[in-house]
This record gives sequence, C-alpha cells and structure tokens, in this order.
Amino acid sequence: MSKPYYEFFCPVKTIAGHQALEHLPFELAALSCSRPMVITDKGVRGAGLLALVEAIFASSHAPITVVFDDVPPDSSLNTVRTAAASYRAHDCDALIAIGGGSVIDTSKAVNILVSEGGDDLLHYAGAHNLKRALKPLFVVPTTSGTGSEVTMVAIITDTDAGVKIPFTSYYLLPNAAVLDPRMTLTLSPLITAATAMDALTHAIEAYTGLAANPMSDAYATVAIQKVSRNLLAVMDNPQDAQGRLELAQASTMAGIAFSNSMVGMVHALGHSIGALCHLPHGMCMGILLPYVLEYNESANGDRIGELLLPLAGPEVYAATPQSRRPARAVQIILLLRDNLYQRCQLPRTLLETGKVSLEQLEAIADMAINDGSIIFNPKESDRGELLAVLRRAWGA
Amino acid sequence: MNRHRLRLLLLRLYVTVMLWVVGRALVATSRVDETVRAELACLPPGYQIQMRVLPAGPGFVVECLGDGTLKRAIVVKARPDLSIGFKHMAHAFLVFGFQESTARAFANDRMVADGDVSHAVLLVRCLNTMEALILPRAIARRAVKRYPALPLLEKTKKAARIYALITKNLLLLR
Repeated sequence: MSKPYYEFFCPVKTIAGHQALEHLPFELAALSCSRPMVITDKGVRGAGLLALVEAIFASSHAPITVVFDDVPPDSSLNTVRTAAASYRAHDCDALIAIGGGSVIDTSKAVNILVSEGGDDLLHYAGAHNLKRALKPLFVVPTTSGTGSEVTMVAIITDTDAGVKIPFTSYYLLPNAAVLDPRMTLTLSPLITAATAMDALTHAIEAYTGLAANPMSDAYATVAIQKVSRNLLAVMDNPQDAQGRLELAQASTMAGIAFSNSMVGMVHALGHSIGALCHLPHGMCMGILLPYVLEYNESANGDRIGELLLPLAGPEVYAATPQSRRPARAVQIILLLRDNLYQRCQLPRTLLETGKVSLEQLEAIADMAINDGSIIFNPKESDRGELLAVLRRAWGA
Repeated sequence: MNRHRLRLLLLRLYVTVMLWVVGRALVATSRVDETVRAELACLPPGYQIQMRVLPAGPGFVVECLGDGTLKRAIVVKARPDLSIGFKHMAHAFLVFGFQESTARAFANDRMVADGDVSHAVLLVRCLNTMEALILPRAIARRAVKRYPALPLLEKTKKAARIYALITKNLLLLR
C-alpha cells in the first residue's frame, strides 16, 4: 500500500523464545536495576507461573524484592496506589508485570506514580500528559491476545466515579516484552481460543482500517498468518510449546500493528458489549469479526480480499478469483470460528454466549457510535447500521 | 522573503481564516441544525472544545450551553475539556483545504485529541454535518467520510442561515 503520510513507533525490545525468561535478570542488570518489584495476580501465582520466575531470579544477582499479586480483573485507582506504596516501601527500582491485560495496565499506571511521585494518578489521565521517561518496566504476558506489552495505553477504573480512565503516552511503553511459551502452556482451551481471536482481530482491523500503513501492514499480515497456521494445532495439542510461542509472537505483532494503525468497528461494538453485558473481550471479537468484515466489504473489499493470503495460504489465494477473495476470507474466518466451537465451545453468536439479550442490542449500538475506535473504521456507520451488524452477530 | 517562507505565511493566513470561520460556523450550525444540537446536548454547560494548530498556532474555543447549542468561549480554561490539535500548519491546511476528511486526518496521525475520546468522535460527526451543510456537494464529499442524504432545499436553507450568522459576526467584528 502507499500512503501520503503516516507515523510508526515501537521502541519495545522483544525477547522471544524458549527460556526467554532466563534472560530477564540480564536485562535488569543492563539498566543497573537490582530491586525489581513483580506485579501479578492470584491466577498467575496459582498456575505456578510466578514460582518459575522467582526461581530464575533467585539464582541471579537481583532477586525479586517484592511481589504484589492483588491485581483484580478490572484494575482500579486504589489497586494502583496500593501497589505504588509497596514499591516505595521496599525501595524498588524496576517493575516486572507478569499477567494479562489488567496486570500490564496496572503496572504501567504504577510506573506513573512511582516515577512522577504523589498519589494523584488522574493528574496524568488523557493523552500525552507525561513528559519524561519512567522507571524500567518489563512485561511478561501470560495470555496471547491483548498486545498490551507493546501499547502506550493503560486503562484504569475509577470505581468511585464508575468510569474507565485512559492514559496514553509514549512513556508508558515498556522497556521490553518477554515472550516465553512456558507462560501460556497452562491456558485453558477456551482462553487460548478467545485470546487468539482477539489477536487475530487486532491484526485484521489494523490491516483493513482507515489508519493502516505499510509498516503496520507488515506486522499485521505476519500476525494473521501465525494465528491461522498455529491456533488449531495448539488447540489439539495444548503442550505444543513452539505453537504457543508462535501465538505469543502473533499477539505481540498484532499489538504493534494496531497500536500504530488503530482498530475499528469490531472493537467499537466489542467495547460496548463488554461494558454492558460483561462478555469477555476475546469472545466478542471472535463473534463480531466476520460480520463487520462483511459490512465493510463495500468500502474496502480489496483490502479484505488481500487477507486471504495470510489466512489461507498462497494456493487458496491463487485459486480464488480476485472478486471472490473478500467473501472467501470471511468464509475462512467463519470456518475457524466453527472449528473453535467444536474444540472448546467458544460461542459463535451473541445468542450462544447466554449473556446478551436481543433487547440490549440498541443500547450497545448507542454506546458504540461514540466509541473512539469507530472513527478508524473504513466505512462511516450510523446507529441503524451498527444495529444491523449486531443483529447478524446475535444469530437467532 | 524566500519562496518557502512565503508559502508558510500563506498557509498560516488561510488556516487562521478558516479556523475563524469554522469556529463560528460550528456555533451557527448548533443553532440551525437539530441533529447537531441533539449530538451536543449530552455535553454539560461550560464544557469547552478547542481546535487549534500546535504548538501555538491559530485556533478557536467554543463552549457548550447545555442544551446542544454552542457559543464562542470568552474566558478559556487553562485546559479545555476537549482539545483537538493539528500537529502542523500544513496538516491543518489539508483538512481546511478540504483535501482530507477529519476522520482520515485522525487516521493519518495529523492531529491529536486530548479529552474524552467519545466526545471527540461526537465532535467529528458535528463537523461532518456542518461541512455537508455549508459546502457544495462536490467539495463536501472530499471533506467527510460519507456524504449524507441531504435534500437540496434543506441544505440551501440551513446553509443560508449559517452563512448569515457568520456574516453577522464578521460585520460586528465578533
């Protein structure tokens, strides 16, 4: 593709591979850090993942100084303040986030407080309100979906006001992301499938959106290819470490893609369904993606058609006439969705989730029309069109 | 003065005039068009919206009255509730020269929004409606992502009222 102007930014070092975690103490030493604080949640500890990291650090020059494992699924200002107080009390000098999206966002927010001082996180809310580098932050994702390890955004809930507060700054980007397949081997089939569909959606929306650019395209297409080639294999053999590593890389690459070219209507609708119906994000993505692509086809069918190559491989791409490639790409995604349903009952429709009622669709459309992602969707949409897509995805 | 400086000066002049017009046109549209009024009605009284060229270029600030209508802000807050900033004068020219839609400009990293993102989305829709009303169809089609179904009579009547309100501002030097 060609574009008259774009920007692309990702300074996060990626450390990916088998035994990648063992490299972490070296990275800390390189930045003269010797008192790291680990931020995680009870699920990670319960799965035994923290014990692995602790063992690695115990044999290094910089054992973990303190572990904060009290991050809830939706992180709050209070959680951030408590974790920051613990960091200060133990005189730490670096942060290691081990977990999914909530843990990573919490760690980014804690980094604001421990670097800037004070307890008023809201002072830094919004876009680009940090003016200097923060403390070293390393991220070890334990799911392969959010891409938060390479984004400059953190979302923290203000529980008193009942709103989610976004923080956006280049300085929120971690120093490094560590992708080690051992951290995702214990993921359940359902979580594996849902998070992979989240990564696939990040990549596809990044590629088909209004803000796509040549650099993000490169990351997005490889991410799509990796998910397409490895997801079902991992579902059939959850201990497939190489497959897990491929999915982890896909998630990070999709994260780099969408943090530079944004997402579109799938996320606008998904954010609203998540807020109103409390449906897990990855589940929403997998359900909505094919229907939004069908809707967008009239605006950018050529770009959707190009997805057939990373989704299905060169033979299917070459054998499909250009005019039929967009529909075939959607078909391939629907087939993947059906295969995942057979393997782990990942819902195929909003109805199958049992959490979304037909009556809620109007409220979802009302909320989605003002979601920040909608502006980057290639096709302008009104409330009625959003409702029509939702009804297709509801699937009665 | 060399050619590049002259070009930048002319760009600045054009963008300054256009921001003057757009700020007043937005206020006028909020009084003339019920769709825009309905969109803005969710914003509280005193809510300020700024649009400007960064870091210290021309711009405008409008203030919500709480009923969906706007007025030009007389006392501007240190940090308006929603601020849309073009990163460069040339980027602003593309939008105000109607060569690029506001949504496309966001997508092309030409501007940054500071404030509630959902309000920025709402503002873009209001700007789209305003442009569809006051610009000839051929130009407006380039300025918005999708040109709305707009009967010619309605467009003409509303555009006339908006231009009348802008002219009144000009004559009264407001």
